[in-house]
Amino acid sequence: MTVVRACGASFSRDGEEIVAPFDLVAGSGDVALIAQPTAFAASIAARMCAGIVKPTTGNVFVGDFETRLQPPQAKRLVGFVDAAGFDGDDHAFRCETAFRADVWAVDARDAHARAQAVFAAVAGGDETQRRYARALALALVPDVAALVLDQPTRRILDRVRAFAPGVAIVRSHVGIAAVRDAVPEREPVAS
Amino acid sequence: MNELRATVAIVRHHIDRKFALDFAMQFVLLGILGYVFAPTFGNVLPVVVCGALAATNAAERAHAATLRGVSWFAMPLFGRQLARAHAIAPVLGALAIPLGYATGAALRGAPFPSQALTGAILASSVAVLVSLSSVFRDGLRAALYVGIAIGAVVTIAFGELAPHGLALAATLALVEGFFALRAFGETLARYDPIPAV
Repeated sequence: MTVVRACGASFSRDGEEIVAPFDLVAGSGDVALIAQPTAFAASIAARMCAGIVKPTTGNVFVGDFETRLQPPQAKRLVGFVDAAGFDGDDHAFRCETAFRADVWAVDARDAHARAQAVFAAVAGGDETQRRYARALALALVPDVAALVLDQPTRRILDRVRAFAPGVAIVRSHVGIAAVRDAVPEREPVAS
Repeated sequence: MNELRATVAIVRHHIDRKFALDFAMQFVLLGILGYVFAPTFGNVLPVVVCGALAATNAAERAHAATLRGVSWFAMPLFGRQLARAHAIAPVLGALAIPLGYATGAALRGAPFPSQALTGAILASSVAVLVSLSSVFRDGLRAALYVGIAIGAVVTIAFGELAPHGLALAATLALVEGFFALRAFGETLARYDPIPAV
């Protein structure tokens, strides 16, 4: 079943095209790639797929919902992980987990347990990995159908499936050819 | 989705230690201002001053950086729902300004009349609601919203001088506040949180 679909989606600002039109299809259990020439464009493309940034042209659908017309319904199905990760200590992480449990109306105790389990399994030794792992754990607080990962590391990609087996994963990356060679994608994507 | 639960969570998120400290500092500073100037300011000027301070305070850049964070826009809420939730804490925080002034004036022995205090509270609230839209704009456009907020404050302050002044001020505040909140919701719905280059 298709979860995330982009049709000719592009993004421009002040007349300058930042993300060229791209198509994308990600079904349940798939990993789809959005490759962009710069980190800035990759982040914007990822945010477009999560319904956070509205495409200037084209459309992005999450489930049956168009992200421009029905943003809350679309965002309810997506977990988004920003490239910068979650910039906060353990206490801030616990507070943010409780906060998200309230916003997404899920059980707070389950959310804490799940977030801690994801973080413990995914976090690496260095602070950058830990920040990203916290953001990933927070994105998985609600029960999502798709996960949009902004420039994840190989380690994150390898481990995220254990916690989101049937979830469609859309990931952004900087550089086109190198990534396609290095990472086999179940659903190749034109960019 | 339980909208009330989400709204309460967002309000609680905003009401933190920094909020309490800001509230206390504004209360004390306006208390000093009220203590020093209450005998000379009269009843209209304090309403304008309180509103103007509330407008500039709501538009402060540190606040803007927080509200522009991508995580707010990943939440499954419409712009208008997010606007309501974001507006509650700043409006509550702005109460420190008229209440602080009134306390200072009372301590000086020149009590701020209840009608003027109500007007100041209404003016501060409307100023915050208008000024919040400036948070998602930069430069001249941001300053324009602060200017509009001060203009709204002036209408409320002078509305009080008319016969049935409080009713007129309250009506003006209600209308201006309604449209300001709608505009803030539209602003949030249209805003695209672009990462830093």
